[in-house]
Amino acid sequence: MDVSGAPSDVEVVARVLGGDREAFGLLIRRYEPGLLRYAARMLGSRDAAADAVAEGLVRAYRHLASCRDPARLRTWLYRIVANRCKSHLARRPTADVSLDEALPIADPRDNEAAVERAEQLALVERALMTLSPEKREAFVLKHVEGMSYEEIAAATGERIPTLKMRVHRAREALLQALEEYR
Amino acid sequence: MSTIDPRIHQALDGEIPREALPPELRRQAELLDAAAALLAAASKAESVEERVMAALQRPAPPRRSRLVRWLVTPRAVVLRMRPVWTLALAAGLLLLMLVPTREPRTNLGEEEGIAQFVARFPGARSVAVVGSFNDWRAGSITLEDRDHDGVWRGVVVLPAGAHEYMFVVDGERWVADPLAGRYVEDDFGRENSLLIVRPVLQ
Repeated sequence: MDVSGAPSDVEVVARVLGGDREAFGLLIRRYEPGLLRYAARMLGSRDAAADAVAEGLVRAYRHLASCRDPARLRTWLYRIVANRCKSHLARRPTADVSLDEALPIADPRDNEAAVERAEQLALVERALMTLSPEKREAFVLKHVEGMSYEEIAAATGERIPTLKMRVHRAREALLQALEEYR
Repeated sequence: MSTIDPRIHQALDGEIPREALPPELRRQAELLDAAAALLAAASKAESVEERVMAALQRPAPPRRSRLVRWLVTPRAVVLRMRPVWTLALAAGLLLLMLVPTREPRTNLGEEEGIAQFVARFPGARSVAVVGSFNDWRAGSITLEDRDHDGVWRGVVVLPAGAHEYMFVVDGERWVADPLAGRYVEDDFGRENSLLIVRPVLQ
């Protein structure tokens, strides 16, 4: 139990493994916002992201007993979803990704600030999708999901120096793209 | 070759305080911060909880269909032989064999085979086998060390085909079979031992 009174991941995993299937819903609610955000950034499509996350969570449930360190469940789940995303990307006929689904649609009733924000987001998303999947993944996990390099290494299976290099390259490419658009 | 000042990376990685950056570099760091914040705050996606929980109500696909899918799906397979000297005396031997017994068990199906697990774990309190055949749940297949020499043994009937497995020592330590000879990397970045069960000949 943490300070908020919510059961810890270790406690919830023990309940699920003890037969309380409904307890898995706690883990879904706890981690799906980040997982969906990550998958959408990797795949450029909300529908594909939902598929990847749903598949990943079902696999996670079925293999929960093999999660050796439930205290690090978060990175374990990201790793599973990351692999699902890679499978989705590999199945695509081309590397081109449509951003249409992921782009927010500006409502005419929105105020000017909201429209500008939507345009900025579209710009950032477009710049992000120009990165290779590896650099995009490293940037998103580091700066959008707020993971440490150690956590990213656990989630991706890559070495920390490699990840640092990818994050640095991603920052450079993004900054260049954003400066050009300004 | 880096195209931006390395101090920006240092600041974004928390190695130096933002205040240490000159104004132009700080502006660039803030531009990246703002981009990340926009991505993080983008509109919420629809929850998949209902869909996942519905899927969990259904039983897992039959082992045979999973096996067929596993066999036909292109995947990288890591084959690695470990030096025998490190483990020959201390580790287990997996012997999978077809037992042409003269007195076949009446409940052994044509599509089943016998797998014998032997592993050396001196001092262990318990050794179990988990794998794709028991949904990776410890407890259903336990090995025995009857003469307390540290060698744990067990014989089980398994469906014919390929199975991934690991040993669970003392209920918490997951160990690949050091002498399995065949290993596959799973979706979770772990290297599982691989065994092939052949069906009993009639």
